[in-house]
Amino acid sequence: MPSQITVRIDGVLCTATEGQTIFEVAEANGKVIPSLCHMEGVSPAGSCRLCLVEVAGVDRLLPACTTPAQRGMAVTTTSDRLVRHRRLALELMFVERNHVCAVCVSNGHCELQALAMSLGVTYVRYPYNSPRLPVDVSHPRFVLDHNRCILCSRCVRVCDEIEGAHVWDIGGRGIGSRVVAELDQPWGDSQACTSCGKCVQVCPTGALVEKGYGVEEMTRSNSAVARLAMKKGAAS
Amino acid sequence: MQSAVPQRSQTFDQAFVDTIIAERTGRPGALLGILQKVQEHQPAQYLPTAVLEYIAAKTAIPLSRIYGVVTFYALFSLEPQGRNSVCICRGTACHTRGSRDLLETAMMSLGLAQGQDGEMEALSVTTADGRTTLRTVACFGQCALAPVVEVNHTIFGHMNERSLLKELGALDQGDLLP
Repeated sequence: MPSQITVRIDGVLCTATEGQTIFEVAEANGKVIPSLCHMEGVSPAGSCRLCLVEVAGVDRLLPACTTPAQRGMAVTTTSDRLVRHRRLALELMFVERNHVCAVCVSNGHCELQALAMSLGVTYVRYPYNSPRLPVDVSHPRFVLDHNRCILCSRCVRVCDEIEGAHVWDIGGRGIGSRVVAELDQPWGDSQACTSCGKCVQVCPTGALVEKGYGVEEMTRSNSAVARLAMKKGAAS
Repeated sequence: MQSAVPQRSQTFDQAFVDTIIAERTGRPGALLGILQKVQEHQPAQYLPTAVLEYIAAKTAIPLSRIYGVVTFYALFSLEPQGRNSVCICRGTACHTRGSRDLLETAMMSLGLAQGQDGEMEALSVTTADGRTTLRTVACFGQCALAPVVEVNHTIFGHMNERSLLKELGALDQGDLLP
C-alpha cells in the first residue's frame, strides 16, 4: 500500500497518498487551482500551463497537474507572480485563435471565458493573430471549430482512454498545431468515430459543439464523462 | 519519353514494411523508426496515405497518432520529394547575412512560386518536374559559416547568389526514377 505523506499547501498541512499529483491533493483539500486541460479520470497533459504553482526551494514554476506531491513539499497556489503568469497564458490563448464570445455558442458556459473573468483578463496586450481557420461541419451531429480551440487535448485523451477510439490527435507543430481526425480528414468521414460525443462534452471552449444550438445555448456535462472514467477505472 | 512528374502512387513494398514492423514491434518508440525506414525505402522519399493506413492496421497504433507524429517531425513528408534536395537556412545568423535573398534567388531559378501572402517561413516545395525539393530550416548549427545552404546533404557556407546559382546549375539533371 502506498504510504501517506504530508505536504503543506498555502500553509495548511494536507495528508496525501504517495503518487498523487499536487493538483489532486489540493482538490481533495478544497483548494481550487485553475486549469483548462486537467480532467478527472484521464491522464494529465500539462498543456494549458494555468495550474502552475510555486514550490518552496524550486525557482521555476511547476504545473500542479503533472508534478507528484512529495514529502514535506510546501506549495503556494496563489501569488502575484502566479496570477501574472496565468493572465499571460490566457492572453496568449486569446491572441492565438479567434475567440469571439459574442457569436459563440458556448458564450456563458465557457471555461476559458470564466477563467479570464475570474483572473480579470479584460483585454490583451498583444496584437491578435486572427488566423483564417476552417470549421468542420461534416459530422452529422457535431461541429469542430478550430477558431475556438486552445489545444488542451482533453478530446484526444477522452477519446483514447475512455471511448477507446482515438479518433483525435494533435497534428502539426507550434503555431500550426491543429486537432485532427485520423489522417486530417473531415470528421464525418472518420471510420473510428463512434459519435459518442464525449469529446464534445469535455471541450472547455466552443471548439467542439453539438449542432442545433444558437449563441449562448450550448451547455456541457463534463462530470458525466468523469463518472464514466471512474467506473472504467474501478472495473479495470 | 518518361513521365516527368513523380507518381503520387499509393503503392509500397508490403514485404519490406512487414519486416520493418516485425523487427521493431513491441519496442517503445517503435513508430518513429518504422516511419523513417519506410520513407527511406519509398522511391519518392515520402509516406503515401496507404502506407500510413497499413502501418496503423499492422501495429494497432491509432491513425491519428501516426498522422500527428508524421506532421510533427520535419523529417517526414506526405508529398513526393524531388531527387535533389536544397535546404536554405533561415536562422538568425543566416538571415542577417542575406539568406532571404538566397531563398528568393533559388525560387526564381527553380521556377517555384512564392508562398501564400508572401510568407516564406517553414517552406518545403518541389518543382513541377519533381527534380528538386527546396526547403527552409531554422538552423544548421553552422552559424559561423552563415549564410548556409545544404545541397544534397552537403553543407556550403558563406554562400552568395552567384555561388548558389552555380550549385543549382550543377544539380543532378539526369533522368527521373520511374
